[in-house]
Amino acid sequence: MRVSQQPGFVLHSRHYSETSLILEVFTREQGRLGLLAKGARRRSSPWQGMLKPFQPLLLSWTGRSDLALLIGAETEGAAIALDVDSIYCGFYLNELLMRLLHRHDPHERLFDAYRSALRALAGAAVPEIVLRIFEKNLLSDIGYGLVLDRDIQDNAPLVPEALYEYVLDQGPVRVVDSDLHRPPRGIRVHGESLMALALEQLLAPRALRETKSLVRAALSRHLGGRPLHSRRLYQHIQALRSRRGGSDSPT
Amino acid sequence: MSQETILEALKEALRRLPGVGPKSAQRMALHLLERDREGMRILAQALASAAEQIRHCTRCNNFAEEELCAICASSRRDHSLLCVVETPSDLVSLEQSGAYNGVYYVLMGRLSPLDGIGPEELGIARLEALLATGRVKEVVLATNPTVEGEATAHYLSELVRAHGIRATRIAYGVPVGGELEYTDRGTLARALTGRREA
Repeated sequence: MRVSQQPGFVLHSRHYSETSLILEVFTREQGRLGLLAKGARRRSSPWQGMLKPFQPLLLSWTGRSDLALLIGAETEGAAIALDVDSIYCGFYLNELLMRLLHRHDPHERLFDAYRSALRALAGAAVPEIVLRIFEKNLLSDIGYGLVLDRDIQDNAPLVPEALYEYVLDQGPVRVVDSDLHRPPRGIRVHGESLMALALEQLLAPRALRETKSLVRAALSRHLGGRPLHSRRLYQHIQALRSRRGGSDSPT
Repeated sequence: MSQETILEALKEALRRLPGVGPKSAQRMALHLLERDREGMRILAQALASAAEQIRHCTRCNNFAEEELCAICASSRRDHSLLCVVETPSDLVSLEQSGAYNGVYYVLMGRLSPLDGIGPEELGIARLEALLATGRVKEVVLATNPTVEGEATAHYLSELVRAHGIRATRIAYGVPVGGELEYTDRGTLARALTGRREA
């Protein structure tokens, strides 16, 4: 099988033999796959400096096994310039895709969401908002979409000012006064926050805080209990900064 | 043990070297056996003494035969200037430039979240101990200009500044003797943003 000029991004690369690279790429129509880039580390390689994360690429390869052979790569515009802070968020997105996508499963919508998320991170967007929206789209694309429009008990539309308990793998259940005295069945979140996540308009601090706990809990069920290294690294950085005055982690 | 298994064991051992597959391993093993028995003894001796005597310098983490490597032990080096590199070969390249008279710290890797390498795995605590001695006045961050290298440099700059020490990053640009026409776009972009007063 020969694939030509497929839009894609390198998620991760590692050295292979003296001059080659093994790439893990995420492509628009073929999903995540492994590519062998022979001679890519030679000084004379036409791919020198190109096969790196966050660089939009057009990739061509041959072979259908788990490790296909890269036969062509071109840049599709300039690399998405993530600054030192958003680079950790970029690593986080890549780690999520590496951990949660199966090889060769196409995810065209998710690919577009990934590209927009990277561009937003490189722009003026608030990283927290970009990450929450991407995480929501990721969950829905891998078949574990969140219910963000109704109460699962009576199918009633969400009420913005009402409090819900989001039961993982099920959905939101409205909290009545008597519920407040027992341990919650799920993550407590306001209707407004769920609706804001659905509309991808997370502006209120409360909505950001609540959806962060929700999405985190939903993701961790699919991550098999292993920690996300990019999140830990970001927390390290924040700890260093807080010695000089810092902020909360967006992941 | 029969001769055949000794030969197999030798080939297996040679395959541990980077870039050596079964064929090269066989060629090396047969070459040594047929033509260079003396070389075999020299190689075995060199490997054994290196394995036994080469360790990490307690200060810079580079390979050393004593507790301190030659650079860290030297009184002619500027011990207030510390350059952080990813690997011993990076250190050799910088030394060969002849433009640096400070000391080094060798990370033996870089931060790479997707490989599960964070600050603990990289042994950053030892670098911190070095910073805490109060001797270092400036840290030059010379990790590679790759995505992971940049993230490592950024992390280290935060760490260094948290100790109240000046952190600098090596400059990027057009190679000396190079031509703009043949310089890749990424490097040119960096060279432009990092331009300075002429």
